[in-house]
Amino acid sequence: MRPQSAGNWLALPVVAALGALCLAPLAILFAYSFFSVDFVTISHDPSLKNYARILQSETYRGLIARAFGSGLLVAAITAVIGYPVAWFLAKRAGAAKTMLLTLLLVPLYSGDLLRIFAWRVLLGAEGAINRSLIWLGAIDAPLQGLLFSPLATHIALTYNYLPFMVIGLWLAFESLDDAWLEAAADLGAPGRDRFRRVTLPLTAPGLIAGGLMVFVMVVGDYLTPQLLGGASGVTVISAINDLFGTAFDWPLGSAIAWTMLAILMLCFGAGATLIRRSSLVAEGA
Amino acid sequence: MSRLGTLWVCLVFGFMYLPIAMIALFSVNASDVMAFPLTGVTGQWFAEILGDGRLGGGFLTTLAVAFPVALLTTLLGAAAALALTFYATRFRVLFAALLLLPFLVPRLILAVAQLILFKELGVSRSLLTVIAGQSVIILPFTTVIVASVLIRIDRRLIEAAADLGASGWCSFRRVVLPLMGNGLMAAWVIAFVLSSSEYVLTAFLSGRQQALSVLVASDFRFDLSPSLNALAVLIVLGNIALVVIAEAIRHRAGRLN
Repeated sequence: MRPQSAGNWLALPVVAALGALCLAPLAILFAYSFFSVDFVTISHDPSLKNYARILQSETYRGLIARAFGSGLLVAAITAVIGYPVAWFLAKRAGAAKTMLLTLLLVPLYSGDLLRIFAWRVLLGAEGAINRSLIWLGAIDAPLQGLLFSPLATHIALTYNYLPFMVIGLWLAFESLDDAWLEAAADLGAPGRDRFRRVTLPLTAPGLIAGGLMVFVMVVGDYLTPQLLGGASGVTVISAINDLFGTAFDWPLGSAIAWTMLAILMLCFGAGATLIRRSSLVAEGA
Repeated sequence: MSRLGTLWVCLVFGFMYLPIAMIALFSVNASDVMAFPLTGVTGQWFAEILGDGRLGGGFLTTLAVAFPVALLTTLLGAAAALALTFYATRFRVLFAALLLLPFLVPRLILAVAQLILFKELGVSRSLLTVIAGQSVIILPFTTVIVASVLIRIDRRLIEAAADLGASGWCSFRRVVLPLMGNGLMAAWVIAFVLSSSEYVLTAFLSGRQQALSVLVASDFRFDLSPSLNALAVLIVLGNIALVVIAEAIRHRAGRLN
């Protein structure tokens, strides 16, 4: 058996499964986005009406913009929190590294639902944070805005996706050779310059990869805003859900879904190009 | 610098474990209200959960989904990882992009898309559709886990087997397979955990038989009771045990090579 043909045979069932259960459904969704609803039946005359509706509707445009805004915000927050953690894991943790990495990933496997439940217990009007603040005398009455607000949503989103950012950055720090930093120090570069001109460019691929992962997952998150956001929990994803459920407008729902997918793919392509370019810089350094 | 780093890492890990600690605390707190001050220790919430027949049925449904999903995704993930790392396929980049796709597509969008496909094909919703749907989103994870073990295998072992006259199949079975065994076990466990905690796809694709995650979600929306804490603790402990086992297996794989 030649290696090449063995590889093709191994890839075949995987491609078949992904084709049937990922590509085919998305293709049908794409087809539906050109249909329209006629009372209670779906008319199969293709048109661009749904996409025109999205472009004209301030609501949908706003929801889409907000989803991507949230994605960027959470990616930025996790980057700031995760950067020192990744550095520590790669350069300072020593023998504890494996254990710390495992510990970092464990909360990830408890499932979205349980993590959201925990945040609800923590942030509620009678929850742990409010009660502790009252006990400490910092506040008199519970902060009502803590739960069911964009703040609650973004805290939980940061919590959910921070490990992905740390893993991306950690891999970049692992391949960062300390000799570059020593060389920069020998040449008289102060700490700030060493960070800005050596560490940051060399870990940029990890930063972009981690950011991209977090961004994609925040944009696609359905449960967190839904269960913690209260009135602010209406997102473009929950709008798609409504259109497929109670509102019964599958074609419009499909069109919004494909608009999101198209933008996500563009972001991903741009991110991949940036990673390739910054890796070239890293190699050339 | 290093001390500041240690402090920051402690804070971040504290943040990661704060919600879990809180659930654990309230799961044994003798009060209907989930708030401080704590009032005493009770096993009531655990007793309530363990005596709940509906949740017990949900748990069995979860197992009925998670076992086949874990097996299927481990096999497919192993095939994908071998194709990506060991046996060069011609369309490697395209293949890797395809594997990444289910991870990139928002779950809810994938779920409604699969729902339309099943409807068009006249397939009614059942545990089989849940298994099919979940497998696609878990496949990228098992692929990465098996690949992380495969890339550490020394290629010279395979060259040596070939030099000693082993056929491609023989060297796979006698050299590669034993070395990737740990990766397969780790992938199976992680897939099992991911499957049992998946909510969106499970809720969209399941028929009358409802898995634990779907039951928990509806409890969670309609009545928030302290016994949910007890359930959460049981699930988290079960998952932690499995993940720690999986990681231990995977790292043992690293040392053996």
